Amino acid sequence: MNYLDRQTVLIGLDGASFTVLDHLMEEGNMPFLKELISSGCRGELTSIVPPLTPPAWTSVITGCRPGTHGIFNFLQFESPGSRYIKWVSFRDIQRETIWTIVNRHGMRAGSLNFIGMNPPPPVSGYVIPGFVSWRWLKKNSYPENLFDRLHNIPGFDTKEMALNFKEEDKAVKGCQKEEYEDWILLHIRRERQWFRVMHYLMKTDPCHLTAVVFDGLDRIQHLCWRFLDPDYALKPLLPWEEKVRQLCLQYFREVDEFVREIVSMAGPQASTFIVSDHGFGPTKEILYINQWLQEQGYLKWKGDIKPSWEEREHLGVESPYRSLLNLDWKKTSAYAATASSNGIIIQVAGKRGKEGISPDEYLPFRDELMEKLQKECVDPKTGEPLISKVWTREEAFGGGYIDCAPDLTLALRDSGFVSINPSDVYYRSRSQIMGTHRPEGVFVAVGPGIQKGQVLPPLSIVNVAPSLLYSLGIPIPADMDGEVVTEIFDSAFLQTHPIETGEPTIPPERYQGAPPPQTEDAEGQEQIMLRLKSLGYV
Amino acid sequence: MDEKSQEKIFSSVSKIINSLKDEWEYSGDITPETSLFTDLDFESIDAVVLGSMIEEHYNRPFPFAEYLAGVGEKEVQDIKVKDLVLFIHQNLEKRYELS
Repeated sequence: MNYLDRQTVLIGLDGASFTVLDHLMEEGNMPFLKELISSGCRGELTSIVPPLTPPAWTSVITGCRPGTHGIFNFLQFESPGSRYIKWVSFRDIQRETIWTIVNRHGMRAGSLNFIGMNPPPPVSGYVIPGFVSWRWLKKNSYPENLFDRLHNIPGFDTKEMALNFKEEDKAVKGCQKEEYEDWILLHIRRERQWFRVMHYLMKTDPCHLTAVVFDGLDRIQHLCWRFLDPDYALKPLLPWEEKVRQLCLQYFREVDEFVREIVSMAGPQASTFIVSDHGFGPTKEILYINQWLQEQGYLKWKGDIKPSWEEREHLGVESPYRSLLNLDWKKTSAYAATASSNGIIIQVAGKRGKEGISPDEYLPFRDELMEKLQKECVDPKTGEPLISKVWTREEAFGGGYIDCAPDLTLALRDSGFVSINPSDVYYRSRSQIMGTHRPEGVFVAVGPGIQKGQVLPPLSIVNVAPSLLYSLGIPIPADMDGEVVTEIFDSAFLQTHPIETGEPTIPPERYQGAPPPQTEDAEGQEQIMLRLKSLGYV
Repeated sequence: MDEKSQEKIFSSVSKIINSLKDEWEYSGDITPETSLFTDLDFESIDAVVLGSMIEEHYNRPFPFAEYLAGVGEKEVQDIKVKDLVLFIHQNLEKRYELS
C-alpha cells in the first residue's frame, strides 16, 4: 500500500446523529468509532435549512449554502420559469466542488455515492454518483472504463450497489412486517458493495482526497427508528421486532468495520473526517399541508380526489408529479410541490404560467400566509401550532440562485416532513412513529494536527469543505461561504500551517442551465443574445 | 447530416441506449419503435436519467420534466424512441421559452 504524502478521507454517514451513535458505541456495537473519536475530536454538525440530503451533501462538498450552490431538494423546478419538477443533477450545482478544487492543486480526488454527481464531472481521480439506478451507473461514472475495472472485484454487482427506487420508497411509506428483514439486508448488501469498491480503489487508484457516503443509515432510521431510538428501544419488543432490531444493529456493526478498514488503509498520516448531512429523530404526526392550503382557500384540486385508506399516511414522496398534475392552476395561489422540501410555492402570474397572484401582491401575500401558517395551522385537538418556524427563501437559503427554491420553508413541531397528498383531514397522528431528519448531525475528525479528545462547539455544515481543504494544505477559496474551524486543529499545527485564502472557485465547466425567458426590452434582448453566444447557441 | 435532423437525433439517442443495452440484458435492436417502458423495462427515473444524458450530449437544457409529465397524463404511458426524437427535434428548432 502506497500512502500518499498528504491524504484526507471523508466518510459520510447519511443521517447519523450522536443520539443513536452514542448508544451504539456504549453498547459495544461500534467499538472502532468509539476508539477513533477518543483519539480525535467530535462535535454536533448543524445542517442547512431544511435538513435534507441533496442540499446538505452539496453544502459539504462546496462549502456553500444552498442559495449559493443551487441545490434545494431531490426534485426542483426544471428552470426558474417552469412549474415542472425534475431530479437534480450535477448540471444544477452552481459552485465548484472540492473534487476539482483539489485537482487544481495537483491532487487526485475520488468521490463515491454522493448525490448529484451525475453526469459525472471529469476529474483527476474517479466519480461514481449516488442516487442513480443501476441501468445508468456505469454510464454516469468517471472515467469511462472505471466499471470495466470494478468487475475485477469479487462479488461486484451493479444492481446491488445502485439505488433501488422502488425499495427506497418503503423507508418513508412503511412496509409489511414480513418485508423488514429483506429490506434491511438489501441495505447491508448495498453498503458492502460500496465498501468493496472503495477498498479496491484505495488500493489501485489512491487519491489525496477519498470520499464515500454510506447512506443505508438514513433509510434504515426512517423506517426502523422505533427499534433504534434509545427512548423506544428499551421497551419490550415482539420477536419479529427484536429480529429487526438485531439486523439494524448488524448494519451499524458492519459500517463500523468499514470505517476501521478505511482508516487503516489510509494510514497513520491521513486525516479522517466523518460527517453526516443531518441528524435523525422521531416523527409522530402528519401535516397534510396542501389539504390545509385548500381549506384556507389557497389551493384547489381538480375534482374530488381522496387518497385510499392504504395511502393515508403517505407523504407523496413517491408521486410528486401526480400531485402537481392534480392542481387547478386557475384557483391555486400557494402549494407545496414536494414533501421533502417542506416548502411552499407562491404562484405568481407570469413566473410559472399565466395564473397566480399579481407580482405586486407577492410580499403582502407572503407575509399574510406566513402569519396564518404560524397562527392558524394548529393541532385540531389542542390548538397548538403545528408549525414551529417559517422561513422566507432569502432567510433559508441566501445566495443568488434561489429562483428555483420554495418561497417559504416550514419547520414542523415534530420536525417531520409534510404530506403533499390530498386528505380527508389536514392533520393526523401516525399509527406508528417513524424516523425523520433533524438539523443536528455529526462531525468527527482524527489525524495529524487534529485535537485529541476534544468536544467541539456546534459547527456549521458549510465549514466542512474549508476544513478538509486546509487538512490537505490547500488555500481556502475566497468565495466559499464556510471557513476553517480552527478549534479542530491544535495550536501548534495552526502556527506551523497558517490558513491561506486562495483564488475564488471556478464556474463548473458545463452549461449553466436554461437561458432566461424572452423579454421585450432592448436591454433584456441584448443580455439574452450575450448569454446565448456564451453558450454557443449563436 | 444536419445535427438537428431527426435522422441524426435518432443516431445520437440510439447510440446512448446501445452503449448500455447489453448491461440491461436487452438483446433487440434499438429502432424508432422501441419503447422505453415496455421494451427496455424503464422505470420513470430511468427516463429522467436518459433525459440528462441527452442534455449532456447536446450541451443544452430540454424541458424533459414537462414532457414526462405530459406522458404521465396520457392513456398509454410509454415513450417510443421516435417520440423522443421528435421531442428533441422540436426543441432544437426553437429557443427555450417560458412555459
